[in-house]
Amino acid sequence: MATDWLYLRRRAVNALALALSTLATLVGLGFLAWILWETLRQGIAALDLKLFTRITAYGADGGLANAMVGSLVIDALGILIATPIGVLAGAWLAEYANRTRLGESIRFLNDILLSAPSIVLGLFVYTIVVLPSTALTHGNTTFSGLAGGVALALIALPVIVRTTDEMLRLVPSTLREAALSLGIPQWKLTLQILMRAARSGIITGVLLALARISGETAPLLFTAFGNNYMTFNPLDKMSSLPQVIYQYANDPGDAMHALAWAGAFVVTMFVLLLSLVSRLVLSRNKVSHD
Amino acid sequence: MTESAPAVAAPVPQAVAAPKLKVRDLHFYYHGFHALKGIAMDIPEKQVTAIIGPSGCGKSTLLRVFNRIYAIYPKLEAKGSIELDGENILDPHYSLNRLRSKVGMVFQKPVPFPMTIFENVAYGIRHHERLSRADMEIRVEQALRSAALWDEVKDKLKQSALGLSGGQQQRLCIARGIALKPEVLLLDEPTSALDPIATGRIEQLVEELKSEYTIVIVTHNMQQAARVSDQTAFMYMGELIEFDSTEKIFTKPSRKQTEDYITGRFG
Repeated sequence: MATDWLYLRRRAVNALALALSTLATLVGLGFLAWILWETLRQGIAALDLKLFTRITAYGADGGLANAMVGSLVIDALGILIATPIGVLAGAWLAEYANRTRLGESIRFLNDILLSAPSIVLGLFVYTIVVLPSTALTHGNTTFSGLAGGVALALIALPVIVRTTDEMLRLVPSTLREAALSLGIPQWKLTLQILMRAARSGIITGVLLALARISGETAPLLFTAFGNNYMTFNPLDKMSSLPQVIYQYANDPGDAMHALAWAGAFVVTMFVLLLSLVSRLVLSRNKVSHD
Repeated sequence: MTESAPAVAAPVPQAVAAPKLKVRDLHFYYHGFHALKGIAMDIPEKQVTAIIGPSGCGKSTLLRVFNRIYAIYPKLEAKGSIELDGENILDPHYSLNRLRSKVGMVFQKPVPFPMTIFENVAYGIRHHERLSRADMEIRVEQALRSAALWDEVKDKLKQSALGLSGGQQQRLCIARGIALKPEVLLLDEPTSALDPIATGRIEQLVEELKSEYTIVIVTHNMQQAARVSDQTAFMYMGELIEFDSTEKIFTKPSRKQTEDYITGRFG
């Protein structure tokens, strides 16, 4: 019968669609697992205490301690600079400039910044931070962790602006009406109620921005420059994990390769951890909001 | 659904109550769409006035003009006058802060702030008044008691308001509104998202609150209008068709359209 045939055909199409989408998922996940496995396999030789205690000055006998400290300092600077600006800009877009021509233009420009090649941002910070600081300090401060932080902030900024804007716009307008009906002014509503309602989404955005910048190499080449010794001073040249991975991967020595892989493993785990934490923050929010 | 003259709360004679809100020749435009067409009505003090009518008739719009909450959206315009105790609230010089402390509003969906139960009530008060900690506690308790919520939340004031049930959240929103000691309370379909038991509690609360507040309630539910209100206004397509005592509207309406609507012939 025609209906049976139709039914069978639909079942077949359904099975095919299911098989294809499952295959696509497995391919994606497979590569992720492969990347994790490969970084672990190649880096396991160098994954020891030395990795976390010795500095890169020892070369093949050293570790990545200074690069880890450098990465933490530079990433923290990037996030500390980008978060307040990004959150306030996102709040302005969502609450004050929503559906205005100016707001739409700025949203568009922010999206352009979001996709700007990171090496361009590195060169830009080189000209607006590194060169002037060299001139001002007569060469005492040239490349610096701070300059690296500024470059990473420019990468984190559009991510934070975008997520803050989107998270705030997801807050139902009834909450705004309820607060305004009590005579609460717009700025209090935005900072004390809407920000709180969108808090976990905004935090997730900041964590994702941190995950994004912690793997960046290009913007640090012309800004933080690198340093084989341990330093905590952000006005000094600073090392960072991605940059050391890049250098060591170009080295002919096998021991250096293992160190680079171990570094890659540490960065990957850090990013994975951040993603997990942000998922946790978001899911906790879902429970409490329903 | 057909309704035959439901029981009506004993109406207070209209002449006794002085008008709290005087609406005159009120027109409202949404992006040029004429949503309210020359509304004129006197809303009596310390009584419950219900506004009924089919979807899109303008009843919520009318309510949203009473505290000018519509003004937060662009391209909405109200013309005419609404006098609150003799002063025109549509006058741009009438301060929004003052208006909204005098005219409170409760919405269809309960929208507690993402804070503790205590803070939900204290937050609005704090914006308008400086109170000592002890005075604040008294005010919050009073508000929660008036909203018939105190007994259920007194042991968990420090917990998030988002953990309350829908009916409790709606009573919290009422508490939040009356904590500012408004004179008028606007209720925009306050029970349409609630179950029958929670609805019953809110209706009982409306009955209790009218000794202190002038209440205007928009409702889809005609039995509710009949149960809780003293006056009922019937609106249709942006016009006020009939406004009279609830008893009269539901037993012998003078306009054919009103009769058709309350007997369920349309809408």
